[in-house]
Amino acid sequence: MITEDIERLIPQRAPILMVDRLTQVDGAEGKTEFTIKPDNIFLDDDRRLAEAGLIEHIAQSASAFAGYQALEAGATEPPIGYIGEVKKFHCYRRPQAGEVLHTTVTMGAEVGGVTLLTGATHVGDELVADTRMKISIEK
Amino acid sequence: MLLQNKFYKVLDSTIDAGGNHGQYRLALLPDCEVYKGHFPGHAVCPGVFNIETIKECAMMLTGRKLAMPTVKQCRFTAVASPAVCPQVDLDLTATATAAGAYLVEARITAGDVTYVEFKGEMTAL
Repeated sequence: MITEDIERLIPQRAPILMVDRLTQVDGAEGKTEFTIKPDNIFLDDDRRLAEAGLIEHIAQSASAFAGYQALEAGATEPPIGYIGEVKKFHCYRRPQAGEVLHTTVTMGAEVGGVTLLTGATHVGDELVADTRMKISIEK
Repeated sequence: MLLQNKFYKVLDSTIDAGGNHGQYRLALLPDCEVYKGHFPGHAVCPGVFNIETIKECAMMLTGRKLAMPTVKQCRFTAVASPAVCPQVDLDLTATATAAGAYLVEARITAGDVTYVEFKGEMTAL
């Protein structure tokens, strides 16, 4: 169990903080958790999350993983990461306020400061979104 | 629309006669609340807000409320911000498919700089 405060791991803040906790790190894999609150910035008028909110949640999950590694390596500030590419993103269902997102990110190779990763988001046992992504982390 | 008149404002638009291609001149609004958190003291457009902006322009073009089940590929080739590019051009094509979806291709540029290149599939809600 990882007890690190999320604000130590990623630089995003309200109203676009889209991860509550990094719950587990195991090798190249990280797991996060996020509860969609009724005032979430990505909630559309049908009370469901816009797809862009799921992409941001997965990106911040990867950023939390990178932030955890940076902290372990002695960093004092969370690194800023930028999405370079989103590829093969699928949204199977748009989650609604009150639902809890559980996301697994699997970090791949880093080439020239750009990291390839895959992310999958579940609500309970149901897969709601998955994607490939490239992020660049400022060091 | 989540972001219209909050994150961006449409200043001008040109829609082709066929109705499947549009060009939008957008102002990026520096007072958008998202910049309080992205990032504190360092306002940068969230890439996913640019994706949502593309979705909203596709809704304006098609006149339908859309979902975005698939992003085939979206490349962010430069970091946008209201300070760096206060106005951007969004060029968008939405091609209806036999299955009732739209193949959407879009590009966000300012002058010679390309910020976003997007290909995805949207469906009417």
